[in-house]
Amino acid sequence: MSQVNRLNSGNVHTAINREKTVSFKFNGQTFQGYEGDTLASALLANGQVLVGRSFKYHRPRGIFTAGSEEPNALVHLRAGAHQEPNARATVAELFNGLVATSQNHRGPLKYDLMAINDLMSPFLSAGFYYKTFMWPKVFWEKLYEPVIRHAAGLGEISKLDDPDIYDKGFLHCDILIIGAGPTGIAAALAAGQAGSRVILADEDFQMGGRLNSETYEVAGVSGSQWASDAIATLEAMDNVRLLKRTTIVGTYDHGIYSAVERKTDHLLQSDGKPRQVLWKIYSKHAILSAGAIERPITFPNNDRPGVMMAGAVRSYVNRWDVTPGQAVSVFTNNDDGWRTATDLAEKGIKIAAVVDTRSIEPLAKFPGAHIEMGTQVVDTTGRHGLKTIILSNGKIIDTDCLAVSGGWNPNVHLSCHHRGIPTWNTDLHAFVPGNDLPAEMYVAGAANGDLSLATAMQSGHAIANKLAKALGHKGRVKACAKAEDESTANSDFWFVKTDTKARSWVDFQNDVTSKDIVLAQQEGFNSVEHVKRYTTLGMATDQGKTSNLPAMAVMADNAGKTIPELGTTIFRPPYTPVSISTWAGRSRGKEFRPTRLTPSHQYAEKQGAEFVEVGAWMRAQWTPKPGETHWRQTVDREVTQTRNSVGMCDVSTLGKIDIQGKDAGEFLNRIYCNTFSTLKVGMVRYGLMLREDGIAMDDGTTARLTETQYVMTTTTANAVNVFRHMEFCRQCLWPDLDVHLISATEQFAQYSVAGPNARKLLQKVVDKEHDISNEGFPFMACGEISVCGGTPARLFRISFSGELAYEIAVPTRYGVAMMEALMEAGKEFDSVVYGTEALGVMRIEKGHAAGNELNGQTTAHNLGMGRMVSKKKDSIGNMLSERPEMVQDDANRLVGFTPVDKSKSLNAGMHFVTIGNEPNTENDEGWMTSVAFSPSLGHSVGIGYIKRGHERMGEKVTAFNALQNNTIEVEIVSAHFIDPKGERLRV
Amino acid sequence: MSSLNALKPLTALDNFSQAAHGVLVTEVTDLAIVSMAIPAETNDAFNKAIKKSYKVERPEVGTFSQSKTDNARFLGLQQDQMFLMFDYTSDRAVEEVSAKINGSEQLSYLCDQSDSWVTLRISGENCLEALERICPLDIDPIVFPVGSVARTSMEHMATIIIHESEGSYLLLSLRSFAHSFLHAVTTSVKNIT
Repeated sequence: MSQVNRLNSGNVHTAINREKTVSFKFNGQTFQGYEGDTLASALLANGQVLVGRSFKYHRPRGIFTAGSEEPNALVHLRAGAHQEPNARATVAELFNGLVATSQNHRGPLKYDLMAINDLMSPFLSAGFYYKTFMWPKVFWEKLYEPVIRHAAGLGEISKLDDPDIYDKGFLHCDILIIGAGPTGIAAALAAGQAGSRVILADEDFQMGGRLNSETYEVAGVSGSQWASDAIATLEAMDNVRLLKRTTIVGTYDHGIYSAVERKTDHLLQSDGKPRQVLWKIYSKHAILSAGAIERPITFPNNDRPGVMMAGAVRSYVNRWDVTPGQAVSVFTNNDDGWRTATDLAEKGIKIAAVVDTRSIEPLAKFPGAHIEMGTQVVDTTGRHGLKTIILSNGKIIDTDCLAVSGGWNPNVHLSCHHRGIPTWNTDLHAFVPGNDLPAEMYVAGAANGDLSLATAMQSGHAIANKLAKALGHKGRVKACAKAEDESTANSDFWFVKTDTKARSWVDFQNDVTSKDIVLAQQEGFNSVEHVKRYTTLGMATDQGKTSNLPAMAVMADNAGKTIPELGTTIFRPPYTPVSISTWAGRSRGKEFRPTRLTPSHQYAEKQGAEFVEVGAWMRAQWTPKPGETHWRQTVDREVTQTRNSVGMCDVSTLGKIDIQGKDAGEFLNRIYCNTFSTLKVGMVRYGLMLREDGIAMDDGTTARLTETQYVMTTTTANAVNVFRHMEFCRQCLWPDLDVHLISATEQFAQYSVAGPNARKLLQKVVDKEHDISNEGFPFMACGEISVCGGTPARLFRISFSGELAYEIAVPTRYGVAMMEALMEAGKEFDSVVYGTEALGVMRIEKGHAAGNELNGQTTAHNLGMGRMVSKKKDSIGNMLSERPEMVQDDANRLVGFTPVDKSKSLNAGMHFVTIGNEPNTENDEGWMTSVAFSPSLGHSVGIGYIKRGHERMGEKVTAFNALQNNTIEVEIVSAHFIDPKGERLRV
Repeated sequence: MSSLNALKPLTALDNFSQAAHGVLVTEVTDLAIVSMAIPAETNDAFNKAIKKSYKVERPEVGTFSQSKTDNARFLGLQQDQMFLMFDYTSDRAVEEVSAKINGSEQLSYLCDQSDSWVTLRISGENCLEALERICPLDIDPIVFPVGSVARTSMEHMATIIIHESEGSYLLLSLRSFAHSFLHAVTTSVKNIT
């Protein structure tokens, strides 16, 4: 069988290239098609009428439409990890090597074992599982739901990682035109000629819309030829961008639209290029010219393969040279349906019958065809393909294709994304976009109810011309091309009323019948929204594009209302299904977010450091040496070597903010709770920053380099937040202050050099002209120095570890070299590079607060720093930190804890209760914030908050680990486990 | 003087350069950047000073002024702050600028930013096509002509984009992000279709 339904060549409208034959497989069988075919047109050309099975009843289904509204012809495209389920054959561009398989059946497509469901249909009506599978309750999740899900459904995912590449991007334009049919093209020509920056997007791989499917004339040539010429004209314009294979899927705020461009879906191999790109389009104006979608008439057994939309039949015949049948009938309630018969007859296709529900004079006659006016189709036959239609006048007509036309619905989808409600048009018997459109969206052509070709093109042209002028674009705009003004006469015949038991299908994709809708209403679901959810009407991949209005007609009739009285559902993004991979784009795996590397990263990597993610930073956590088999061994060594001699740690990740201005000191007075204006040049001070509500926000040291320049350090985690907060204060609260901020975090590689030999080591690095002796450079001193023969540097004598310590900063470019120089200089001291884990151990041993202690719940009072909140000046949080609840005597206070049994370990997050009390919320007295094994002390230590902690030294309490459900006894001690008097810092 | 050898500087991306898919991506390593914050009361004096020393007008926010002196570009980033970008490879950029602008320290607050940024030059016939994958701003030459500068974010990374000459853009991002930023840019180039 080879393209038995392909028409003879000579069609001037055709879009296929007969010079290029394309091979593809469907359900394992090889077929031929032509370049320009869709999978659907190629299957029809090969006589493959049956293409799938329905969702619930596994009814045989065929191709129903020729566009993205397709409810039936859903297939798996490609194979293996590349397999894509639920692809619409009607928009799948054919390519050599395409592999497609039908979905949702057991056994061969023609003999689906699950078709038994159809025999059980009396038990499977709308809401059946809500009513049926209620007992026993436990069976729902374990039995009923798995079985139902297994039996129903659409396609299957591969369950493998998607190997394709996806990307995203940003586009900008003056006017976005959605849909490149006659209206869109007319609009694009006008806007483009005026000089506007235009994006014209269309979901099809061939622009032209219905012009490619019809035999209309435009400007004296065939519509498809005119479209082709116009597209070529637009392509030549620098200010116009054409996006074919691109679906606008969502309308968002401020003229932003999302679009999916299928870059390589039509190719066998993507050659490392993205398969699809998700565009974010910023537009000043948008013209929605998305056309209209033909609606069916509902009648018994209307779902048989071979029953199709009339406009789709024209598409297959005119655009793809394919006849969907050898004896085609038309069932219509409008003039447009007759055009199908006319077009087909002109191509020599046999017309079996034209059945018009209207009692009017026939619009045409066709040799040998039954012309039945005021008549309806009341039933059909043919299990795997249409064989006959049965008419209301009793006639039975042999036919293998029935083209159904119930009129056209403006495609309002994208106009509803801001909750716009469509309004009813009594002439069209359809909803059109309402007046509450998204800002700067205009609707033109058939999408706005201008259904004839001439009026559609004129509306697109006029709107674009007006918008371009409003934008100040004055290029000469040519007149709109002249086109046919065909009849769009129609009627409001919606469905065939019969008393047969045969089911009339309203929603093909979800197997919803007119009886299901009536049943839902009988059960009290009167709102259209409720009926939709109860019956699943309008859900899944087609979102009811062909079913919504026919269903509303059934509902309205049953409720004794008109359709507009009944109301309508609206639409939300996406317009058509978008794969999760496309939404994700390139943000997959490690590319989900960027990473930041410290200045010494290259050095640490070379030494074999283990890294830990700290926000976006990758920090060296520890660096194991040969023979060390557990991280604790490494960390203990790093701590011990540092405390016994000297160690270096990259602390560049701490935020560094350069603060300059005559009022910099005053600015810091207001930012910090303690005073900074009195800090002497060349000195550093610890500062605590409060939020407006008095809660501790961040802490760090700030150095005064000159009279007008300070450098603040923040915690790594809060670097951005603190900078943002300070900019807000500078710009909005105190714009009168002369103060200027800039982040210097990235400018410096900053290393802590800690331990009793820190100074000795630094004296080998720092140029001799700089005195860094204890007298010349005392504790909390700072200054600009030079190192290694003139490299500019800054030195700060500050300590997080509790040891004699400095932080030395050099321009980042010297980060690796500086660390190497420090290690070279430290060889004689057995120096070590320590990581974040050892850093954490030493700060806990010293009792320094960090992120765990500044967790957004704690105050200066809790931290034992209440007296730092200066009352000699005002500062952010100062006033509210004095609230009674914030300074009460029995408030939590930061103290240290050691296990009574020193062999026991502590856990962060343990809660404290008085010994003998039940560990519950009522008895809770505080919690452990940070713990570590102290190699200096040989046992576990922790710091945390407990009520009146500072007054309870030596008291034993129970620490409760709720996660592991165990308790241990701990003793309350000073948080300063090491050198509580701070003598080491000052030597 | 320290007994140790002089420190050897490293560039952020080891002088990366790649020509592919009609786009040239190169790390720029010979530019210094100095932040200049200008108090309101010294605005006029500062403007005169740079006109005298660099023969340029102070740029509007969103544009840069190009000087022939040291190939200097004053980037108008915000009302009271500019970046001065100029040909210079050593590590005392602030002193260099101070020496050029008479009284600069009284007229403005300077801060060396040379090591804060990684700079990529992206040029070639397809560079806009690559940039539209990561740059949310409209950088079409019609609205972002040569001489434009803007702050934005690319792939979550803070970026300054400069249209330095026809078909050539400078991208500045924070140095710690250098590898991720380069990956984002080269991926965009690779993904051109």
